[in-house]
Amino acid sequence: MTTEQTTILILDDEPIVSKRLKPSLEKKGYEVEAFTKGADALARIQEKQFNIVITDLKMEGVDGMQFLTAVKDKYPDTEVIVITGFATMATAKESFSKGIFDFLAKPFKLGEINEVIAKAEAKIKAN
Amino acid sequence: MKNFLHQVGKLFGRKEKESVPFKVLFTDFKKSLELNNQILDLINDANDKLSGDYIFDEQYIHATCHQLTDLVRELIVIINHLTNQKYPNLFTSFHKIEEDIQAILGGQVLYPVTAFTLPYKRITRDLIDSVGGKNAHIAEISSLLNIETPEGFAITTAAFSAFMQTDNLAEKVAELNTSWNKGTLSVEDAAEKIQQIILGTQLPTHLERNIMDAAITIMDRKNIEQPCFAVRSSALGEDDTFSFAGQYRSFLSIPVEGLQDAYRQVVASLYSPEAMEYRQQKDFKPNEIMMAVAVQLMIPAKASGVLYSYDPLHPETEQMIVSSAWGLGEPIVSGEIPTDHFTIDRQTPHEISEMQIVRKEESKISKGCGGLKTEAVREDQKTQSSLTKKQLLQLAEFGMQLEKYFRKPQDIEFAVDHDDHLVILQSRQLQLQHQKTPRACDLTELSARYPIVMRGKGIAAMEGIASGPVWNIDKGDNLEDFPVGAVLVARHASPLLARVIHKAAGFVTDIGSTTGHLATVAREFRVPTLFNTENATELLETGQDITVDTECLTIYEGIVQELHYYSLQEDPIEEMHEYRMLRRVLKKIEPLNLFDPNEKNFTPAGCKTYHDLTRFIHEKSVETIINIGFYHSHDRDTHAGELAWEYPLDLILIDVGGGIEGEYDHGVRPEQISSVPMQQLLRGMSWPGIWDMSPAKVDFSSFMSSLTRTTPTRSTSPEDVGRNLAVISKEYTNINFRLGYHFTVIDAYISDSVLDNHIYFRFSGGVTDSTRRSRRTRLLDEILSHYDFFCELHGDIIVARLKRMDHKSMLRRLFLLGLLVAFTRQLDVKMINDNKIQYYFKKIQTIMEESNDN
Repeated sequence: MTTEQTTILILDDEPIVSKRLKPSLEKKGYEVEAFTKGADALARIQEKQFNIVITDLKMEGVDGMQFLTAVKDKYPDTEVIVITGFATMATAKESFSKGIFDFLAKPFKLGEINEVIAKAEAKIKAN
Repeated sequence: MKNFLHQVGKLFGRKEKESVPFKVLFTDFKKSLELNNQILDLINDANDKLSGDYIFDEQYIHATCHQLTDLVRELIVIINHLTNQKYPNLFTSFHKIEEDIQAILGGQVLYPVTAFTLPYKRITRDLIDSVGGKNAHIAEISSLLNIETPEGFAITTAAFSAFMQTDNLAEKVAELNTSWNKGTLSVEDAAEKIQQIILGTQLPTHLERNIMDAAITIMDRKNIEQPCFAVRSSALGEDDTFSFAGQYRSFLSIPVEGLQDAYRQVVASLYSPEAMEYRQQKDFKPNEIMMAVAVQLMIPAKASGVLYSYDPLHPETEQMIVSSAWGLGEPIVSGEIPTDHFTIDRQTPHEISEMQIVRKEESKISKGCGGLKTEAVREDQKTQSSLTKKQLLQLAEFGMQLEKYFRKPQDIEFAVDHDDHLVILQSRQLQLQHQKTPRACDLTELSARYPIVMRGKGIAAMEGIASGPVWNIDKGDNLEDFPVGAVLVARHASPLLARVIHKAAGFVTDIGSTTGHLATVAREFRVPTLFNTENATELLETGQDITVDTECLTIYEGIVQELHYYSLQEDPIEEMHEYRMLRRVLKKIEPLNLFDPNEKNFTPAGCKTYHDLTRFIHEKSVETIINIGFYHSHDRDTHAGELAWEYPLDLILIDVGGGIEGEYDHGVRPEQISSVPMQQLLRGMSWPGIWDMSPAKVDFSSFMSSLTRTTPTRSTSPEDVGRNLAVISKEYTNINFRLGYHFTVIDAYISDSVLDNHIYFRFSGGVTDSTRRSRRTRLLDEILSHYDFFCELHGDIIVARLKRMDHKSMLRRLFLLGLLVAFTRQLDVKMINDNKIQYYFKKIQTIMEESNDN
C-alpha cells in the first residue's frame, strides 16, 4: 500500500464541499471519490476500502454518524475525518468515541484540512 | 439650574424625573460595545471567506446572516433603550436590509435599480445582474482589454421587470406556468400561450422611448443613417453557470423601428418549451427568471468565424482552432455552409500548423435592414482563404488574451469588417472534454520536470495558476509598459498595481496583506496573487517564463502547461453558487456608507448596510454616555470631569465610584485619578518620549489611502461627536478612544482577587495603506503575545485578552497598553518597512525593562 496513491472518499450533501476539495486533493496526488448522497457512499464502501474518509455529520436524509460507524466497523484502519457546521462538544465526543482521526468545524481553510489529511496519511504509512 | 437641566433633559429626550441611574445606562453601553465588536468580527470573518482559501457551505452563509441579524436587532433595541427611544427609525432601515438579505438567501437576485437601457461604455462588471453576462462581457472586453467590439447598449433587467408588470403580464405568465406544472396544460401549449401574451403586450412608453433614444445616440455618434442592429438575449447566468446556449433567440439586421418587436421576441424566447423544461429540471424559482437584452450595431462583415482557444476534443495538442467563411457568421455557427479550417499553436509566435481551405460557393449578408440574404461568392474568392495570416495571428493573440482574462477556455465569435478590422462579437466559456484532464498523479511529479524557483513561502491572496513572462517593476521595469499576460513581480502590494489588473496573468510580491486593496481587486478579477514571498523580486528576472501555483505556494521555472490546463478545468470558486450568494449578501452587510458623523447622511435613514447601522449606533452610544454622564449628569453617584493634561487626549472621565479624588470643577488633574487601571494607562501614555507631539507626518501614499478610509477628523464642538470616553472606578476602567484614525477599546478590572482580573484590548483603523496597517497589526500581535496576551486577528482588527494574572502583572500590562496607545497614534506612517517591526518591538521592550526598575 505504501507505494500506491492514497485513496480518499468524501461525503457531504452540499456539493460545494467536494467540488472544492476534490480538485485540490487530486492536484496533491490523492485519488479522490466524492459523494453527495449517503446511500451511494455506503454502497461504494461495500466495494472498496479507502485509506481516508472525510464526512459531514449532519446531512439531509443521511446520518453521518451512521456512515462513519459503518466505515469503522468494516475497515478499522481507515482514518475518518469529520467535517461539520454544527460542531458541539457532544457530537465531537461521540465521533471520537467511534475512533475518528480528527474533527474539523466548517468553514475551514483548505490548508487546515490538508494538514489533517497529511497527518492521517503519515499515521497510515507508519502502520 | 434645575430649569436648565430640565431643558437639556427634554432636548435629550429624557425627562428629569425618569432619570435612570448611570450605572444602569452604563450596563447598556457596555452591552452595545460588546455587540458592536461581535458584529464587526463576524463581518470581517465573512469577508475573509471570499478569498477562496476557505471551504464553506450554504449553511454557513445562512447561519452567519442569522447571527448578524440577531445581533444588529439587539443593538438597535439597546441604543433605543439607552437614548429613551430616540432612534426608532433605525428599525425601518434595519427591516429593509433584513428583507433584502432574506430575499438573497431565498435565492433571489436583487438586481440593482438602473435605467432601462445602459450604453456599453457605462457597463462595468458590477452591473452583471442588471445587464446579463453577454452584455457585461462584451462591454468589459472593449473597455478593459481594448479589443474592438460592436457598439451597443443593454436593455436591463429593470426594463424587463417594468415590462412584466405591464397589464399583469407576470401574473398571466405565472398562471399558465402553474397550469403546466399541475399537468392541466402540455408544455407546448403553455409555452405557446405565454409567448402569445408576451408578443401581444405593449412596452411601457418610457421603455419604448429609452430604446429609441439609445439607438439614436449610437446612430448619431457613428454617423450612420440607417443602422441595423443585432438583438440578442443576455439572460442572467446564461453565459456562466447554466448552459442555456441556443435556447434563447437572437435577431439579426433589425432597423431602429423594429427594435421593440425584436425585444419582445427575445423576451418571449424565455418561454420556449425547451427553456421551460430546462428550468424546471434545474429547479429555478420564478423570481430568478430574468432577461436582459443586448442590442448591438451589426458589423457588415466581410468574413466571420469562430475561434476555440483549445481544441475541445484534443486539448492535449495545445492548439487553437478557427473556422471561418465569407460574410456573416450565422451560417457558420449553425453549420449550414462549408468553412475554412485552421489549427494554430497556442504558444507564441502562434504558428499555423494546419490549414484547410474549402470551396465557398455562398455567403450570407445583410439585406439592408431587412434580415439576411444568401449571395454567391465572387469567383476569385471561392477558393481563397477567408482570413489572412495577419488576421489569424491577431485572432490567436486575442484568443489567449480573452482566455487569460476570463480564466476559462474560450469560444469566441468574430467578424472582419470592410476595413479589415477584427471585431469580437462574443466570448464565452468553451466546454472541454472532461476525460482529457491530466491525471493528478502526473501533476505531483511536476517538480521532477520543472525546476522550482520558490516553494512554501508567501500567502495566497487569490488562489489559482498564473503562467507567463515575469515583469519585475522592482528592477526598473515600468508599470506603463506592462505587457499583456505577464506576471507582475513587485516589492510591495501597492494599490497602484491594480491599474494593470486586466493585463496581468498574476501578481507576486515580497510584501503584502491579503486584506489590502490589491488583494480585493485581485479576487474580484480572479487574478492569482501571491504575497509575502519575502524575496521574489530578487529571484525573478523580467522576461523569464514562470508558472505560479498560489494554492501550493510554488513558483516553477518555465511554463507548466499541465498546471495551466488543469487550472482551466477547475470550476473557480467564484463561479459557485455559494460564493456568489455570499458576495451578494455581503453587499447588504459589509460596505460602509456612513463616514463622517457631521455629514448629512449620518442618520438612521442613511444606513444602507448592517455595517452602517453598527457604525451609527456606536457613534451615538458613546455620544449619549458622554452627554448623560458629563454634560447633563444628574446622577448623585456619578461624577464627571475632563482630563486636564498636557497631551491632546480630550478625555471625558465618568467616575462611577472611587475613580477620582479631591475637588474638581470639570477639569481633573492626572494626579487626582485614583482608578488603578487608569493610573497605569496614563503612566504608559505619558512615558517620556512615547507621545510624539509633532503633528503626524503623513506621506503622500498614506494620505491618499486616508481619503478612502472611513474615520472623520475630530470635531471641535464640545458637545459634538468624537470625544474620548473613560468610565472608571477604583478598580475598573472602560475606555473608548479615537486617536487620529484609530479606534481603541480597553476594558480592565484589576483587584487583589486574581480570578476577577481581566484586560480586554481592541484596536482598529488607521490612516495608511494596507501594507503598513498589516505591519502595525503584526507588531501589535508580536508585542502583545510576548507579554502573554491572547491575540485574535480579524482583518486589520486586533483583539487581545488577558485574564487571571496577579495584581502587579496586570498593572504592568496596562502600562504596556498605555505605551502602545500613545505610540500607535503615529505608528502607521512610520511602518515604512518590515525591519521597523523588530525595531519598534525592541524599543517597547527596552521601555518595559526601564520602567520596571523605577
